[in-house]
Amino acid sequence: MSSDVQLASVYTEEQKEIRIGVRRRSAGSYVLDASLLVLSFLMLSPFLWIISTSLRLPKDSFSLPPAIFPTDFNFNNYAEVFNRVPFADFIGNSLKISLLIVVGHIFISSMAAFAFSRISFPGRNLIFIIFLAGLMIPGQVTIIPQFILISRLGLIDTHWALILPALINPLGIFMIRQMMMTISSTYDEAAYMDGASRMWVFLKVILPMVFPAIAVTSVMTFIANWNDFFRPLIFLNTFEKMTLPLGMTVLTGTFGSGNLSAILAGVTLSLVVPLLFYIFGQKYLVEGITAGGLKL
Amino acid sequence: MVASIILSFNKYNVITPSKFIGLDNFKDFFDDDRLGTVYWNTLKFVLILTPLHVILGLLLALAVQRKIATGLKYFYRTVFYFPVLATSAAVAVAWSFMFNKEFGVLNYFLSLFHIEGIPWMQSPSWVFLAVAIYSFWKFIGNAFLYYFIGLQNIPETLYEAAEIDGANKVQRFFAITLPMLSPMLFFILVTTLIGTTQIFDEPYLITGGGPGDASRSVNMYIYEVAFQRHEMGYASTVSISLFLAILSITVLQFALGKKWVSYDQE
Repeated sequence: MSSDVQLASVYTEEQKEIRIGVRRRSAGSYVLDASLLVLSFLMLSPFLWIISTSLRLPKDSFSLPPAIFPTDFNFNNYAEVFNRVPFADFIGNSLKISLLIVVGHIFISSMAAFAFSRISFPGRNLIFIIFLAGLMIPGQVTIIPQFILISRLGLIDTHWALILPALINPLGIFMIRQMMMTISSTYDEAAYMDGASRMWVFLKVILPMVFPAIAVTSVMTFIANWNDFFRPLIFLNTFEKMTLPLGMTVLTGTFGSGNLSAILAGVTLSLVVPLLFYIFGQKYLVEGITAGGLKL
Repeated sequence: MVASIILSFNKYNVITPSKFIGLDNFKDFFDDDRLGTVYWNTLKFVLILTPLHVILGLLLALAVQRKIATGLKYFYRTVFYFPVLATSAAVAVAWSFMFNKEFGVLNYFLSLFHIEGIPWMQSPSWVFLAVAIYSFWKFIGNAFLYYFIGLQNIPETLYEAAEIDGANKVQRFFAITLPMLSPMLFFILVTTLIGTTQIFDEPYLITGGGPGDASRSVNMYIYEVAFQRHEMGYASTVSISLFLAILSITVLQFALGKKWVSYDQE
């Protein structure tokens, strides 16, 4: 962790703002304020349109002018989404897969990071560099051998096809290791002196100290897997097993060009989990990045 | 774990699992006309999207970082960042309807300004603007958030010292903000470059690669060859070429980065 972080926190929010350079409000600053407000409205307007249109009657769903604010309140579209396609399954599958990956990934990454930062064994640095090289290989390049392997294991069209390959991600190991490297070894030495086991040092001494790195890795892993479209597209075929992103294409196919409102009702529902996640997760995301998870 | 790494390198051996055909795939590779198109399209995506995120993300972060109410800051951060979290396939589906030429929302609002019937999906040049608009909306929050946090970590003392020395706003930006932000800028540049070189979701969900092959990326082509034409061997060849392209871009980035990224910030 850099000393900058501690230094910065000594200053009040106002002092921080002053240093960016706007002390007296200039004309330019009002222009910027206005542009930011307009841009925010433009960024929000697709959401407003999605929600408003999802509440329209199906026969009006394509009609112009479009609605930015709701004019109808027809919730039948939402029922339709659950009745015509297994939408609850989509959400459940996505949640299940993303959460299992986060838990498994943190379990493996934190232990690997502990080994790479605190246990010395021959070839440690070489193995770590090989791991980091894995970061350079883009996901889609490995998808073909991965597909062949998964199909030989007979796991095509199962959730394991998505979970197992995602459990190991060099980026997570890297971020947690970087933070562990900043912890002085006197902590471990003191604990070992008191007769602590290696597992105890890992769980009770080191792990609590790298919480920001764990939090940011969890948040990022969750977002990446929640939004993953490519791998479910390749590995899953059965409707009931599909994840939410893949399910969206099923929804579009089902309602086709007939009922845009139902499709947008599905889109609205797909935003619920990310919204909850933002509310509870954004604090950790910001803290984690700030606390030096990102010292490259 | 090591096994998975070894396996990831095994792609070179899996090229033709059933039958060894030597260099035939590589011969096809150089005879494939569509490959030139998809590589050119991908290059266009990279050239459009990378500056878009790297530069506009910074401008947005600077604008929000000014002296404005804390509540308003939180509001902007939420508005800009939330689309990043929004389920991508879902919002992409919604956007593909917004881009519709006849009944799309976008053309409706443009028609209020007397701009009529833009063929977002039907014209080989408009599709790129459509993808750029979507990409800005969906992902600008990512670059924004990283810059925003980077800006907050610059120690005040530097600015105070510069002010005492009589440096003006522009001088302070180039002498302090930019160098201090350079590691973050570098991180965003490298990840955006790698990300857009592998672009798949945006064209697949919004344009479908069309019209024709006009917006088909290399990754979409690999998907088509491997999982629709079931030519795993040839798809591997293409994917290795993409890997080499990404690797060389990244190596080049790190070599150039040494010249302008300053890490001694303690």
